Formats: sequence, C-alpha cells, structure tokens
Amino acid sequence: MKVVLNDLVKNFANSERAAVNRINLVIDDGELAVLLGPSGCGKTTTLRMIAGLEQPDSGRITIADRDITDLAPKDRRVAMVFQNFSMYPTMNVYDNIAFPLHAIKMDRKAIDQTVREMARLVNIDHLLERGVRQVSGGEAQRVALARAMVRRPEVFLMDEPLSNLDAKLRVQLRTEIKRLHQDTGTTFIFVTHDQEEAMTLGDKIIVMNQGDIQQVGTPHEVFFAPRNAFVANFVGTPSMNMLRGRARAGDDGGFRAELPGFELRLPDRFAAGLRRMRGDQVIWGIRPEAIRLVAAPAENTVTGEVELVEALGSRDLIFARVGEQLFGVIVDALESAQVGDTCHLHFDGAKMHLFNAETEDSLLQFSAAEPA
Amino acid sequence: MRVPTSERALAYVILIALAALVLIPVLFGSITAFKPQIIWVSSPPTWIFEPTLENFEFVFIQRKGWQYLRNSLIISSGSVIIALLLGVPAAYAFARFRFRGSKALMQWLISLRMIPPIVVGLPFYAMFLFLERGLNIGLRDTYPGLIITYQTFLLPLVIWMMRGYFVELPAAMEESAMVEGYTRLGALLRVVLPVVWPGIVATAILNFIFAWNEFFLALILSGNRTSTLPMSAGTYIVRTRVEWGNLFAVNLIIMVPVIVLTIILRRQLVKGLTFGILE
Ligand SMILES: Nc1ncnc2c1ncn2[C@@H]1O[C@H](COP(=O)(O)OP(=O)(O)OP(=O)(O)O)[C@@H](O)[C@H]1O
Ligand SMILES: [Mg+2]
Repeated sequence: MKVVLNDLVKNFANSERAAVNRINLVIDDGELAVLLGPSGCGKTTTLRMIAGLEQPDSGRITIADRDITDLAPKDRRVAMVFQNFSMYPTMNVYDNIAFPLHAIKMDRKAIDQTVREMARLVNIDHLLERGVRQVSGGEAQRVALARAMVRRPEVFLMDEPLSNLDAKLRVQLRTEIKRLHQDTGTTFIFVTHDQEEAMTLGDKIIVMNQGDIQQVGTPHEVFFAPRNAFVANFVGTPSMNMLRGRARAGDDGGFRAELPGFELRLPDRFAAGLRRMRGDQVIWGIRPEAIRLVAAPAENTVTGEVELVEALGSRDLIFARVGEQLFGVIVDALESAQVGDTCHLHFDGAKMHLFNAETEDSLLQFSAAEPA
Repeated sequence: MRVPTSERALAYVILIALAALVLIPVLFGSITAFKPQIIWVSSPPTWIFEPTLENFEFVFIQRKGWQYLRNSLIISSGSVIIALLLGVPAAYAFARFRFRGSKALMQWLISLRMIPPIVVGLPFYAMFLFLERGLNIGLRDTYPGLIITYQTFLLPLVIWMMRGYFVELPAAMEESAMVEGYTRLGALLRVVLPVVWPGIVATAILNFIFAWNEFFLALILSGNRTSTLPMSAGTYIVRTRVEWGNLFAVNLIIMVPVIVLTIILRRQLVKGLTFGILE
C-alpha cells in the first residue's frame, strides 16, 4: 500500500537537533524503498514512527490514504523486523511464526496451514520444532521475516535486519528478501546504512542525513546524479574524489574550474547552473571509476604519482598524489600501476560532478517537479 | 569452563569451611529439638539419646504452633503476592520509561531498604492507632496490617530485582509483539513474563524469606490473632529460663519450609539469580 509521510517531525527530549526534521515522502504501492544514511541520521526513528512505536511531534502518516498517525501499532497493519531481536526466546520456531495469528484469534487449522506456508517461503520448514538456541543467526532472522509476513501486512518495515549477520549470509538473505518482495508484492521499507545493500535491494532509495531527506531516487539516480555533495560523497565505494575550487568563465564561452594544483574545462551542462549561482566557489567531484590512466598528458588530464595500490580482485584501487590531493582511481588489474610510477589521470567530462560550495547543491539543473 | 584441580580443591575447602561455620550451630540446635527435656542443657552435651517428638507436640498443640504457622504462611505469602503484583509492573515501568523524577524515585526506593525496621514500625503503629480511633479502620493485629507494613521492605526489593531483569531484555521484544497485534500489556504477559519468570521466582523466594523471618515489625504490629512463628519463638525465652528444646523445635518449623521451597525451586532460583551472567 502507498505510504505517505507528511511534514513529519520528531524531537527527543534530551537533544538539541531534531531526530527527524519535517520530512515528506511518498512510497508507492508495492515498492521496495530503502532508507539509507549514516548512523544517527533518523532512519530508525522514521521507521518507528511508521510502526507507531514512536509518536511524531507533528506531521501525519497515511497508509493507503488511511491516516494512521494516532493508531496503536497493532492497528496499523504493518509488520516490522528489528535489528537486534529476532525470536521470542520462550517459543519454538513454529510458535514464533504462529504468535501474530493468535492475536487475531485464527482457528488452529488455519494457523497451522499459514505457519507452514510461511516457513516454506523462507526455507525454514524443517526447523519448526527447534528452539531459539538450536537455530543459527541467519535462521533466526528468517523466523523474524516469516513472523512479520504471516499476517500479510500492508507495509513491511525492516530495520537493518541483516547487519548482525556475516557477509556471505547477508548477501544470501538480501537476495531472499528481494524475492520475498517480488513474491508478495507488499510495500517494503528497508533501513540500512550499507550503501551496497541499498543499491542492490532498492527500487527507490531515500538518502537521509541529520534528520533530513537529501535525495529520493532510483539506485542509478542517487549514484549518477547526486543532488548534493553529501549524497555524492556518501553513495559509492570507494567514495567520490571531491575538491574545492573556483569556477570562472573561459575564453571559449564555457566555464573552467580552478582547482588546487590544476585547471579543468567544465562540461557545458553545468553552464546554466553556474551562471545562476551567486559567488564562484564550487566543489568539483569525480568517481574513481570515471578516471582513466592515459599514456600522455592531454586535455583534462593531470599528472601525479602512484602512492598506494589496493587489490580489489579483478580491479585495483590506486591512490595517486597530485599536489596536495590524493585521487582514488579504479583500474583494471591487468593495466595497473606500481607504487612510485608517474601517471596521467584523465577525467571524463561526462562523469564530472559540480556543486555549489556554499549550499552544496548540485549545479546540474533538475526539473522542478521532482521533490528535493 | 575448566578450572584447575588445585583451584577447585581450594574453592571446596573454603566453601565447606563457610558452610560449617553457618551449619554447625544450626545442626546442634536441631538435634536439641529432638531431645527430651531432661537433657536439653546437660553438660557435657548428650549425643546419644532416643529422639522424641515431645517438644514438637508441646509446641504445636499445647502452645498453638499451628496457629502461628498458619499466620506466618498467610502473612508471608500475602505480602509476596501483593509485592509482586505491585512491584513487577512498577519495575517494568522503571526499566522502560523515563519520566520526571524516575531516577530519584529509584534511589529513594533503595534507601528504604536501608532504614532500620524501628523507624518504620513506630510510625506505622501510630498511624494504625489513628486509623482505628479516628476512622474506625482496624489494622492492628490483622493480616492486612502486617502485609501493608511489609511492603515498605518488599516493594523496593521486588522493584530493584525485577527492573534488572527487564533492563536486560531488548525493548524490541515487546515492541515486536505490539506491532504483531498485541497491546503493551498483552506483549508483557505473553512474551516478557515467560522470559523473566525465573527472575520472578527468585524475587519471590527472597521476599518470602524476608517476610517469613521478620520479627520486629510483627512484634509491634501484630497481636494475639496474628502472631507469627518468629514471635512464638520469642515466647520460649522467658525471664527465668530458656526452653531450649521447644525453642529449637520452633526454629526447625521456621527453617523447613524455606529449605523445602529453595530445593524445589533451586533451578529457577539459580537461573534467576544469575540472569544474564550465565547461559
Ligand atoms: N529514544 C531516544 N532518546 C533520545 N534520542 C534518541 C532516541 N532515539 C534516537 N535518538 C537520537 O535521534 C537521532 C536519530 O536516531 P536514529 O536511531 O533514528 O538513527 P539511525 O539513522 O537509525 O542510526 P543507526 O544507523 O545508528 O541505527 C540520533 O541522534 C539519536 O541519538
Ligand atoms: Mg537505526
């Protein structure tokens, strides 16, 4: 079901900054939305307000056009999986999954059928008699998933459900959550601070910072067209190379960026934004993947020295020093360089990012219809 | 956990010495309870004799021991039940919610445990007297009177112990149940209470023992109708002599239920007292 957050605000008594700062958000029916942001940015608080475990100071929450802001958690038809809790310790797997069904006084036969069906869906149907001490962390998390799904919620909330699992299991369960989403068609809201998890799972990613929504978009949009310097820096590993500098009009009618140690011609798509900007201070950015090592200097290249090489498998991450600045560059492992080599870095103009240094907003023009 | 044999042996020696220190007088007294009156205080003590139940018979039948036992059972169980009914929800609230003065209130509660009984006993006596004369509410020498008074000492213990158990549990446990269709109370009863059950048992036992052994408040606030076992023990120490055999018979009657209770519930007691420390 469609979830709408309207001017939602939450302050905690003992902190000066709002945990959630007047956010607006629409999550469409059947979408898998991911709340992504650094620790303390308000993801959990937002989720808990949707679940009814936290009361907002102001603002409204609707699910399928039903205002649920003042309803008790049990009446919201949502389900939630928690980060640090999976199974009720005094019940076995079967009773855990059946637990929400007892609340609606379902008859025993129907309960039995539903429990077995759900257990099968998350591959724990062979564990039904096991107690909490006889299942692994991953299995316990599956129990939590099954228990959450069993009442067919309208919205399924998940607060970092995978963060306590080891890397391999995390990837595996991530795939299963994606499949569960496809099979059920329920609206999912998934919280994580792991941007890779967000990228692989989300239909829609909501990037948050300090209680504000920074950007809402597809994984591609937040990666390739970050709306501000925060999103650009937060999304993507290794993170974007970013430099502060000055923009000025060039002789050819285009714009140039004066950056510490070198100068660049800026692509024309920033021109309109630059002309409208007050002042001339900018943040220029380029992802490590958008830099190539070339044989000789040319336009939009700088020369530096390789300081560190990290193997990432099929590719290497090189750190090259250009003056004061250290550039991360991702190259094919077969075309890698040695520490101490002189290298020429070529910046692909089509993949450059530029932000107003004062507001940190992108200097690309976004259509006004999109919410910021 | 593996402990080296030498350390283990040392631990046993210390534990046995400590146990002996506590148990030898108890054992000596308990033997006396079965001695006929003529050898109660024989010197040197008689070790070989034909055990008799005449002291118990005297204490129970002649001196209305049954009544004292009944009073003790009613007052102790009643006190524990009331303390749990009030204290467990209070402990939960202290564990989960921060409210104005919650911290100060907790500290005040623990300070109640440090007050000597006389500081509480006399005001209660005065208050009961006032209620009796002014409002015609009789609490002196009644079960409710003592049960209410004992809450001064039992409630803080229940709240402090149970709060510890609740704090250990992730709040997500009952929050999960709340999202899954239960009220907070429903979540508390169905998922939290079963988990802290051993803690409740341990709390109940410790509180029961306090109420069961309590002497001073009972002395001030009870009377003919509600005298407890410890008070009856006092009656065997009279101005001219001590009726040792009878006294120790009463002592045994006081001790046995506590020992039996502890043995029956010892697994829960250990689980409860080591909650969160051991798996
Ligand atoms: N119960 C609370 N009392 C006081 N402050 C709180 C409470 N819960 C959260 N906060 C504060 O609100 C802010 C947002 O917290 P929240 O838990 O929503 O962050 P988060 O994005 O989920 O972070 P994480 O990734 O670490 O889980 C933080 O600054 C946090 O300290
Ligand atoms: Mg969180």
